[in-house]
Amino acid sequence: MRLRLRLALTTLAVTAPTIVALVALDARMRHAAAEQALARIAFQHMLESGARDRCEATPATWGGTPLPAPRTGSAPPHDLPLFDHPSGPASPPPPPADGERPVRAGEPPVLFAYDALLRAANPRAPVLDEDLVEAIATRDVAAEPFTIRGPTVQVLLRMPWTTGPCTYVLARGTTGPGWLGAILPASRVWLVPVGIVIVAVLLAVGPVVGRIRKLTEAVRRSAAQGFTGSVTSPGDDEIAELGRAFDAASQEVRTQLAEKDRREQALRDYLANTTHDVMIPLTVLQAHLSTLQERAARNDPFDMSVLVSAMDEAHYLASLMHNLAIATKLDAGEPQLHRAPVDLNALVNRVMGRHRPIARQRDIALESAVPEHPVVTDADVTLLEQAVSNIVYNAIRHNRPGGHVAVLLEVIHEGRFRVRVLDDGPGIPEADLSRLVERGFRGDEARTRAPDGQGLGLHITFRVAALHDLDLRFQPSEYGGLQVDLEGYCGP
Amino acid sequence: MPERVLLIEDDHELGGQIVERLRRAGYEPLWWNTGRRIPPEDLQGLALVILDLMLPGTYGMDILKDLRATSDVPVLVLSARNDTTDKVRALKLGADDYMTKPFWPEELIERVRARLRRPTLQRQDLLEVGPLRIDLELREVRLDGKPIELTRVEFDFLTALARRPGVAITRAWLVEHVLDPERDGTERTLDVHVSRLRKKLGGALVETVWGIGYRLAAGRDPGSNASGDPKRKPGHEP
Ligand SMILES: Nc1ncnc2c1ncn2[C@@H]1O[C@H](COP(=O)(O)OP(=O)(O)OP(=O)(O)O)[C@@H](O)[C@H]1O
Ligand SMILES: [Mg+2]
Repeated sequence: MRLRLRLALTTLAVTAPTIVALVALDARMRHAAAEQALARIAFQHMLESGARDRCEATPATWGGTPLPAPRTGSAPPHDLPLFDHPSGPASPPPPPADGERPVRAGEPPVLFAYDALLRAANPRAPVLDEDLVEAIATRDVAAEPFTIRGPTVQVLLRMPWTTGPCTYVLARGTTGPGWLGAILPASRVWLVPVGIVIVAVLLAVGPVVGRIRKLTEAVRRSAAQGFTGSVTSPGDDEIAELGRAFDAASQEVRTQLAEKDRREQALRDYLANTTHDVMIPLTVLQAHLSTLQERAARNDPFDMSVLVSAMDEAHYLASLMHNLAIATKLDAGEPQLHRAPVDLNALVNRVMGRHRPIARQRDIALESAVPEHPVVTDADVTLLEQAVSNIVYNAIRHNRPGGHVAVLLEVIHEGRFRVRVLDDGPGIPEADLSRLVERGFRGDEARTRAPDGQGLGLHITFRVAALHDLDLRFQPSEYGGLQVDLEGYCGP
Repeated sequence: MPERVLLIEDDHELGGQIVERLRRAGYEPLWWNTGRRIPPEDLQGLALVILDLMLPGTYGMDILKDLRATSDVPVLVLSARNDTTDKVRALKLGADDYMTKPFWPEELIERVRARLRRPTLQRQDLLEVGPLRIDLELREVRLDGKPIELTRVEFDFLTALARRPGVAITRAWLVEHVLDPERDGTERTLDVHVSRLRKKLGGALVETVWGIGYRLAAGRDPGSNASGDPKRKPGHEP
């Protein structure tokens, strides 16, 4: 529903009953006033000297409108019959029987007389209402109970005497004259405040509606521009506040969109980098395969080392892909750790199984020892396995042919396990030990011997260790190479 | 009689290669390239199932669930997704082992072998590894039938290795469990005992495992964890 229509209907709904109530009150008050006036006029008339006698003298014709009170110094008061007679020229028309002719407000009062049994001698006197008859039994002045009947007002009065044909006098009249009969006030002055109220409402509502329209338009415009423009409405009222709320909302939308854009960009960058990272080993692999193929085509003696390099590269690719996938997860913000009891014996055996073929090809002795009974810890098995795998693969990859790698899973003291990876390769200078876990860090040896490494492996191991509250330590092994310890608590 | 291994793998190239490998390793492979319910009568005589989780049509987990409802044949799950949820779920549904792609064929065969290796029935009081026979009751060791005199430490050491033939045991564990803690319990002492024992047993029965400790050569078991390269000599301590 439109604002204006709603306002109009609401106004109507509120004012209509108010008006009805006011009118009813007003009518009642005017009835009361008219009753009092009638009673006063009737008593005044009847208590004038000789009035009773005149009435009792000619009860059959007594009745009519009393003449205005005589002015001092003028002619003696009118004598009866002061009431109209059917033939009297100056008399107003007789009060009609109910329903014969619409009664108009402002008509002069008429009086009729009744005897002690409430019977009228004058045939033109109206029959008394039962209400009046009932009411007069207990009081001196009886009026009809209030109903909005129109302007007619009747009062029945008990005279200070108790006998004769004029024991009771009925005074009949109307309320004061007015518009709509007796209902609305005579003056139209009331129209002025009503008009003022309507104008004031329209004046107040007009600009409000206008501003709401403008605000709506501004919001639409802002939405059409992807919430880049701001929405404002001047002032400090509720509409201005609504404008500000809208602005805040669109700002929020803007930041969220920006955040989403940023994440998307990061993902695109990541994809581009990953592709780049993967392309290098893949290219190396293709080169090895092509060399093999060419040598075979030329019937050259078979070169095992090229084949081993090719396998090596394929193996490296697999490990790189696993690391990149985990890096994505870790970089995506709070990584969701899927913790569950992990059998570390089985985990070590899987890692050994994964790298044993390549260690064999590289002529590296890869050995492991696990306790007889399974050692269990609570961890995300994929992350932990990759963490261990990175350490083991490093020990193989950064080693020399004929080298050794040992992987030991031990329960070192109550409740703690240790995975230790030892090698007798070149190791790394002590000064570099602390930098191993930096992303992208690669030792001098590694840069020349394994040119396609990323420096990602140990960084992932480090982050996984941190996520699982594991201690990760690097130190020179007693055999000359590197010794890596990963320690944590057993038990699910 | 060769053991039958059912492979459920939708990729033709990979499936073909695995089948070929299994055959060469002495198994009798059976290959389905679509996932479907395995009728109970087909399960008869199966030694192992290799199940690829990412089959089109059927979700591999459903096959696994189905399979487990009727049989306890070992299941080795293959998955291209290195995803913890999958692994945990597969194990919960009763898979015995899982492998993430890519893998080397050797690795797969090794796993199959490890799954199918029968636990050697051992009497409580008698250990037999290759030419060795250890009577735990009488504390008596025979090599190729000939009794060998061993000290208490040598006997305990040999027994410790023989309980897990082919498996490397760390020096630390041996020092703690074999040497007398009251006396000189260092790794040096252990090495001295071992060299004496080797003289008595001769040959390469007790292997030194580089960086770890010792191991009893597993003898005839081809799929053991022992260094698989026959050319390779056991490492020597520096
Ligand atoms: N066992 C080891 N022996 C000698 N150097 C090592 C060893 N382990 C790690 N390093 C050195 O630490 C560096 C960082 O290792 P990290 O695993 O993070 O990267 P990477 O192996 O070079 O590449 P990738 O990300 O592919 O694993 C290596 O480049 C290497 O120089
Ligand atoms: Mg690495």
